[in-house]
Amino acid sequence: MILGDFGTSYCKFLDLDAPGARPTIIATKELPRETRVDLATGHNGKRFADRYVNELIALARGGEALTQEEEYVLLDCGSRDIKFIRYANGKLADMGWNAECGASMGFTIELLERYYDLDYAHLRVPEQTFSVTCGVLGMSDIFDAVISGVPVAEAVARFVKGIAINAYRFAGSPAKLYLSGGLCDNPLFVGSFPCQVTPLGRFVLLRGLEAEAHQPSPPPVS
Amino acid sequence: MTLDPASSVAIMSRFRKIGIIGVPPLEIIRGANEHGLVIHDLDEPLVREDLETASPFLPRVYCAILRTAVVNALHLELDAIYADTGPGKCDCALHTATILAETLPIPVICTKNTDNASFGTPLCQARLPLIDRMLAITAGVKSAAPYQNPPDPCAPTAGFWGVPPRDFSILGLFPDTTHIHGWARCMENKTPADHALEGQFNPEVPTVFFAQSFCAKTALARYLAKKHPHALYLDVDVHTTSSARAKVQAFLELSGVRP
Ligand code: SF4
Repeated sequence: MILGDFGTSYCKFLDLDAPGARPTIIATKELPRETRVDLATGHNGKRFADRYVNELIALARGGEALTQEEEYVLLDCGSRDIKFIRYANGKLADMGWNAECGASMGFTIELLERYYDLDYAHLRVPEQTFSVTCGVLGMSDIFDAVISGVPVAEAVARFVKGIAINAYRFAGSPAKLYLSGGLCDNPLFVGSFPCQVTPLGRFVLLRGLEAEAHQPSPPPVS
Repeated sequence: MTLDPASSVAIMSRFRKIGIIGVPPLEIIRGANEHGLVIHDLDEPLVREDLETASPFLPRVYCAILRTAVVNALHLELDAIYADTGPGKCDCALHTATILAETLPIPVICTKNTDNASFGTPLCQARLPLIDRMLAITAGVKSAAPYQNPPDPCAPTAGFWGVPPRDFSILGLFPDTTHIHGWARCMENKTPADHALEGQFNPEVPTVFFAQSFCAKTALARYLAKKHPHALYLDVDVHTTSSARAKVQAFLELSGVRP
């Protein structure tokens, strides 16, 4: 059984029939049109499978599989949106999905790294931050700061920190959170959260699909 | 214009087709029924016109139900509008009625519904598709007749708290055993200004607290969702977005609510 997490920028796959196989990843723009999987999630997933699991459910199931805790907050920062789930006493207590104000956040962070030829592994977490609620609006703060003499790397780092703080507030300002998504590999982003962060990597939704794959198939929804 | 209820009914002999906004007092609806008037509930989408046609009159960032009411009022050939602007509706409706009164060549009569005789809430507690029950509740505002053959109540497995949404498609995600609370329950009970009834919920079942975006009830919905032990707060504007659908689906499924 092949699982697919079809994100805006990247698609991730796991073949459950290949023992010990690791997830694979491909840029969404390079995805062959004829791709088919057995179970899909993600923004683009419905087009590629007969059985689809919505992203919040995949995230929650992935969190259940990976954290094994009764109380936790799991925040997923994608290219295009942010979402979180909060569990208390082993049960869902709160959730959110921000596709509007979290718009293009991860996408913008990646774009800026390439545009300014930066390496986030070498940027330190700045003291100051921009108050940004979305990737697109935050760009103008960067341009303004650069015009006023702030070095580009510092301006971008403030932007990234602003985005991390915005995501943290969206998730309810917890003392500790688990992070999901490609931004787990960005040390500047992870270090910018004003709380304890445990990165779970970019395959949390695939793990959630794996858990769903072991459930009996629900009846088709009309 | 504001008239006493008796005068509001007396002038009905001049009309054939009226529009209503909110839930006008029972006396008005009874009068309209007795005069055999056609009643259009302007809060529902009735005409195939772009919501943008309301924008010269109301801001785009405004309750979608009232923007819909304006579009309906502009395109249906009505003889009068009865808009409830009392404690059972909202200030947004009051201002909309003022604007319509100055825009349209027909009388716009403001009412203040403080009816407190309970009609009961059988549909809110029945085991039937949520969309069908909400349609029946909203259709019920056009009639003053007591309910006939009410369906039996069922044990709830989920709750929907709020107003009838502008886009009913969100209701299709709920199981038939969802109980309705909030203003929609007040609507069926024909006591739209009963704020105590509006504030009630069932803490025993997972509940979605819904409000239209840009409505003052968003504050109450969010507040009650925080008090409820297992709740999801949701506000939706004109159409149910895919993230709103996904939130409701995930909330119900992860809460163990069966379809
Ligand atoms: S949804 Fe809120 S703002 Fe809109 S008409 Fe109803 S009470 Fe007024």
